[in-house]
Amino acid sequence: MISFENVGMRYGMGAEVLTDVSFSLDRGSFHFLVGPSGAGKTTLLKLLYLAHRPSRGLVNFFGKDLSTLERDALPRIRRRIGVVFQDYRLFEHMTAFENVALPLRIQGAKKIQVADHVEELLSWVGLGDRMHAKPATLSGGEKQRVAIARSIINKPDLLVADEPTGNVDAEMSRRLMQLFVALNKEGTTTIVATHDEGLVKRVGAPVLRLDKGQVSYTPGGKPMDPRK
Amino acid sequence: MWGKTLQFLPESSLREGLLPWVIGVMLFLCTLSLAGAFAIGQGLERWSNHLTANLSVQIVVKDAIERENQTQAALRLLNATPGVEKAEVLADSEIIALLSPWLGEMPIDNNLPIPTLIDVKLDESADRPDTKALSERLRAAAPGAQLDDHQAWMTQILELAAIIQILLWSVVFMVVMSTVAIVIFGCRAGLATHHESIEIMHLMGAEDKMIAKAFDARYLIHGLKGGLLGVILAATTLWVLSRMAERLGQGLISASLPDLSYLSWLFILPIAAAIITMLTARITVRKALLELM
Repeated sequence: MISFENVGMRYGMGAEVLTDVSFSLDRGSFHFLVGPSGAGKTTLLKLLYLAHRPSRGLVNFFGKDLSTLERDALPRIRRRIGVVFQDYRLFEHMTAFENVALPLRIQGAKKIQVADHVEELLSWVGLGDRMHAKPATLSGGEKQRVAIARSIINKPDLLVADEPTGNVDAEMSRRLMQLFVALNKEGTTTIVATHDEGLVKRVGAPVLRLDKGQVSYTPGGKPMDPRK
Repeated sequence: MWGKTLQFLPESSLREGLLPWVIGVMLFLCTLSLAGAFAIGQGLERWSNHLTANLSVQIVVKDAIERENQTQAALRLLNATPGVEKAEVLADSEIIALLSPWLGEMPIDNNLPIPTLIDVKLDESADRPDTKALSERLRAAAPGAQLDDHQAWMTQILELAAIIQILLWSVVFMVVMSTVAIVIFGCRAGLATHHESIEIMHLMGAEDKMIAKAFDARYLIHGLKGGLLGVILAATTLWVLSRMAERLGQGLISASLPDLSYLSWLFILPIAAAIITMLTARITVRKALLELM
């Protein structure tokens, strides 16, 4: 579904941040992306959620070669990708409901459909009673769940999460991971960037390891026990 | 929140809140310049229409009897000339009144050799007589006659007025350009302030036109507010000036002000300001969005 072949990325005239990166994400797969700071994780994630074009190499999204796509065609592809940012990136002046509704409104969904879907999803992530709260009044875990809800409201084909458990306690981290795995089981291809090797071991999903701009692949271990 | 425009921007920040005031001041200057330019054009048209419909003939002869003879000869010739509606001699009291700004108040019987002045009113429906030929015929009939068709000094005044009009239009142009520049700066500041929100919308799949529309709506209102403010201030200023001119009397001051009824076009300006502001913002935002992938 997503494939990178010999992808290189540099900013301006600087050195390559990613060098000959090749991997593929099959439909419905779950991967972790790990690596030390400065290894190029953020850059790879930006390529995955189409914030940048690679400097070289072939990138294929949903059967379309990125290098041949016009700029006008990109918003449609972006709508198939959900992104969870490490720092949530919620709109502070909007309520949780309004934040989660945004992707549907961008797609031009009707008001009634938006209301039904958003209420249902916020209840599913345990925020049914916090729908009209603004981010400033939410805890870190609640903000993260709003951010996750926003990223999956339009049922994306690909979910990219950058350190989604970085700012929450262990219990919340476990619950969020359960949420990601549940989403993945519904067919969403998921890639989660993390520093937490313990989390990787607990879940046991395949790992893309980035080091010095190059990626290596480690197959998954035993399947995750959601109760852990 | 649920309108056609997906308004994802927060309420105006203080920095953006100043924009309508700046646009208002620019519109104020622009309106005064426009009003001045139109008024000069309008006043000069009225004035030159009046002056080109008249000729003046002076009979400059020292001997009173001879002057009277030549005056009668000139009157006969003028009244018989096609295109002349009426020619009549101005009374001494009228001539002295005309001279009083330069010579001061003086009695009518003052022994000062005053030329005879004939005011010639032209028939506006007929062809204007050839002033050069008329002047020659007048000289033949009355050697002391001097025909003045006001062209010499009218030309100078019209040239001066044209220069003033060009200057005023230049001011209008510069003010409009400055307003556009201010809106561009304001818009760029807005883009910088809301950069993260724009980026998130972009990554969620919002098209450029959708993002730009949020700015369109915002800046249209800024432009409309600023435009109304500027035009109301300018209209008030023009009204006060025209009232002052009425008190001071006729002349240059009132000639340089437009009729108040002529100012209805002023209310197009806030709409124009709003549209210019919106279009400037749209172009600026669309251009900035192209820098994103």
